Amino acid sequence: MWIQILQDGLFAAIAAIGFAAISRPPKRAYLYCAIIAAVGHASRYMLMSQELAGMHIIPATICASFIIGMLDVFLSPVVHAPAETCLFPALLPMIPGIYAYKAFGGLAMCILCDQPSAFQNSLFLFAHNALTCGTVLLVMVIGATIPIFIFKKVSFQATR
Amino acid sequence: MTRLSDHSKGRPTTNELCKFLSEYSAWLIGCGATCIRLEKNVRRIAAAYGMEVELTIMPRHVHISVWEMSHTNAVTTIASVANTPISFNINTQLSELSWEIADKKIDFSDATDRFERIITDDHQSRWQVLGLVTLANASFCRLFGGDAIAMSIVAIATLAGYYLKQIMLSRNIDIRVTVIACSFVSAILGATDILFAIGTTPAIALGTSVLYLVPGIPFLNSFSDMLYRHYICAFSRFTDAIVLTCCLSIGLCLGMILMNVGMF
Repeated sequence: MWIQILQDGLFAAIAAIGFAAISRPPKRAYLYCAIIAAVGHASRYMLMSQELAGMHIIPATICASFIIGMLDVFLSPVVHAPAETCLFPALLPMIPGIYAYKAFGGLAMCILCDQPSAFQNSLFLFAHNALTCGTVLLVMVIGATIPIFIFKKVSFQATR
Repeated sequence: MTRLSDHSKGRPTTNELCKFLSEYSAWLIGCGATCIRLEKNVRRIAAAYGMEVELTIMPRHVHISVWEMSHTNAVTTIASVANTPISFNINTQLSELSWEIADKKIDFSDATDRFERIITDDHQSRWQVLGLVTLANASFCRLFGGDAIAMSIVAIATLAGYYLKQIMLSRNIDIRVTVIACSFVSAILGATDILFAIGTTPAIALGTSVLYLVPGIPFLNSFSDMLYRHYICAFSRFTDAIVLTCCLSIGLCLGMILMNVGMF
């Protein structure tokens, strides 16, 4: 179990570093992006694991993104970079890409199928995955932004 | 950029400050900063020089008015948002610059020189980015439950797709056309796991192969702007992100049709 959690954190860290590179952060920020992403994603993994908390993806994402937001607020003065620099790359591995892909698949099948039963099934697939994807995105940003709201002074003075 | 006329005092005229702030805002918002950060940084700089500022942030323009505290003399400028890739390095350095001005560590002349250096010195190795994005998307595949073969296929699909993206963007090809083309190429390569049945998680390989194109930063920025009630910018960024996601889906769909692989 613990090996799986560590593995999850490790791959989330690699993903965060790679996706951070697209948005050109300062070099000193890479390490912190990796740490924050690893802790955040591994937390969500633990919360969703049936052997531990067994939570649904949405509440698990709120908790994990809140942890990411808190870590980010208090590490950004150490990195000497705006809070978003580490926050966004750390959140990116939690973006529900597979839900988006399945929602798109459901939509395509709705358009292509000609049987009512197949259409209903595809519509369910589309609606369920699209709603989950949208909600996860929304709660992810809200959860991560709440600490920035609460600790405005710390987060907006990080580059001072 | 206009240089300071009274360097000895280190305090710009209203005109000079307005011009500086309009360029500063155009670059800060262009490099991917949120609206709330732009507002705070611009107000901080204006306050450091004893002036007041009001700004309207539109999706492609920033409208700035600068006043003397006495409200006797006002200057207004409209600047087009800089057409530059997202760069948190520029964002960080511009935010640092705003604090250095606020804390009176540098005078206006040095601030304008420093600003010029920040916007011209942002270089990054394209090969390094290509390698990191490839590793990141392969790791993403693992996070979604993909096996080692799926990860390898996703790495190859990402390498080819992102390399194509770099080439097309360097030739100033429209970002929407670029995303369709890259997604198409990555989907074709990602579909090999299904076609040759070499792994146990072929659907994950195909689904993940195009995820490096998901416009994550515009999505997250749009939600952040919405929380701070900057609805116009939030809607604009969200629409941009949705358009790019649709382009990604079109490329994926075309690739799947060409390779004759079903959705599920």
